[in-house]
Amino acid sequence: MNSPWVLRVDGLGKRYGRGCGLCSKNTGPLAGANSCANCGSILACTNVSFDLLPGETLGIVGESGSGKSTVLRCLFLDEEPTWGSAYLSGFHRGERDIFTASPPERRELRAATMGLAYQNPGAGLNLHITAGGNIAERLLNVRVRSVAEIRDRAGYLLRRTEVPHDRMDDIPAHFSGGMQQRVQLAKVMANNPSVLLLDELTTGLDVSVQAGVLDLVRELQEQLHIAMVVVSHDLGVIRLLAGRTMVMKDGQVVESGLTDQVLEDPHHPYTQLLVASMT
Amino acid sequence: MSSVATLVAQNVTPGRGAYNFGFLDETTKREVRRALLKAVALPGHQIPFGSREMPVARGWGTGGIQVTLSILGPDDTVKVIDQGADEGVNAWNIRRLVTDTSGVPTTTDSREATIIQTRHRIPETPLRDGQVLVFQVPMPEPLRMVEPSERKTRAMHAQADYSRAWVYLYEDVVRRGEISHATGYPVMVAGRYLLSPSPIPRWDVPKLNMADGLYLFGAGREKRVYAIPPHTEVVPIDFEDYPFYVESFPDRKCQKCGAEAVYMNEVVLDDGRHAFTCSDSGYCDSRLTGGVE
Repeated sequence: MNSPWVLRVDGLGKRYGRGCGLCSKNTGPLAGANSCANCGSILACTNVSFDLLPGETLGIVGESGSGKSTVLRCLFLDEEPTWGSAYLSGFHRGERDIFTASPPERRELRAATMGLAYQNPGAGLNLHITAGGNIAERLLNVRVRSVAEIRDRAGYLLRRTEVPHDRMDDIPAHFSGGMQQRVQLAKVMANNPSVLLLDELTTGLDVSVQAGVLDLVRELQEQLHIAMVVVSHDLGVIRLLAGRTMVMKDGQVVESGLTDQVLEDPHHPYTQLLVASMT
Repeated sequence: MSSVATLVAQNVTPGRGAYNFGFLDETTKREVRRALLKAVALPGHQIPFGSREMPVARGWGTGGIQVTLSILGPDDTVKVIDQGADEGVNAWNIRRLVTDTSGVPTTTDSREATIIQTRHRIPETPLRDGQVLVFQVPMPEPLRMVEPSERKTRAMHAQADYSRAWVYLYEDVVRRGEISHATGYPVMVAGRYLLSPSPIPRWDVPKLNMADGLYLFGAGREKRVYAIPPHTEVVPIDFEDYPFYVESFPDRKCQKCGAEAVYMNEVVLDDGRHAFTCSDSGYCDSRLTGGVE
């Protein structure tokens, strides 16, 4: 079977805490909360479903605490979801839930099939080994065992992400935030992942550096046709990168559709507020 | 009678003075031997054991001593070396502890020994079938240099997730233009576990591969034992374009016995000149007295 999607997410949810019968009533956009008033559990996200098509970019937008990052962390297998399943076309031809993968399979998925760029570059990079070494870690994970090959590939990736070649053997702890972010992108790209997950990639960067990083991501979209999920609370970023957008609030998807449609004709009051506050 | 009392009553080979044969009590020896059996069954895997207080400080070979004393029998002959030398202070003290509490004979000739306890060297003469080499190990965890958390290194071993050990070598190549890791060079054992062979020089690492003898490793402070059974494949990790290599001593000859192509110590003579001698003193001696090529 050849699946039309590269990533399918079905009913994904994550609860912190033991949960109770009232959780679903006490949380969500209607309740205006993501923590249950009865048992104190936090429902970071519930019932998130979507298909990601080849070469497509899906935006997830929402306020801080709306569960966007939890969705990405679950998909990247950093967190164990409480509910739901996810399928990658590259994993058992999309027939097996990635959350049932064994530890070695998980490592393979994280190293070669998916890439997650964290909001904080320190989470995705080891700041105390060289930029090249960070990229090498990815390549070594898929059993590249030649220094020359590693340096070729790292050099290429750093060139693509506009990190000066002579900084390849410096440690990222000495880099600016924007440059760390670009090194992280290079690392994430190392094994040509089929799905790229970008978490608040430009947040905290100054505007000119933001523009550079966004240009880079667009280039990757156009030239390599990598499918991406872009999480941001910045509608400008979403507008620029994403063809389709989901709006999240209090752990649930409140609106989704083509990005233009969502931004031009927002239906949900929260989306309306979000769009209104942009101008 | 309790099992402990039974063991004490059955102890027909008394040590000297008030000590049990081989200093350790029989239940301790059995526990260490159980851990060693497990270690041999899982080549390269670190097995925890209840490391005892010994009459030397931890860090002075207590792991090796406990392994040696636990496998020691009245018919054994023991050799103890420190950096290749039988005359080192550490070697002397350990040898005295073994003989004082067990009465077994000792030797400096590695061919005559059944058990050789070593700190940081493997004898030049290859082990033969039936011989056991016991290493004193300060740092059993080969991944400690890349991962400080024990919980995480255990998970890495469980999943054979060793890419970060290679990252460490890559960083070495980038900084120094070569793999400079000199002692305790990490090796893959039987294609499964990454192992630290204790701080032996690279020179000795190839001797671990497909050996005829048994290698046992004891880390007293870290409370771990592990093993490389005879005829086990042991491969140092490296890169295709930066392969593992051993130290070379071009044109060097031992000042005492004239040996070449052995691991050498550099010594400064009284007149300030430098000379080289065999690091393995027992090997050097037996060359001088004849009998070894």
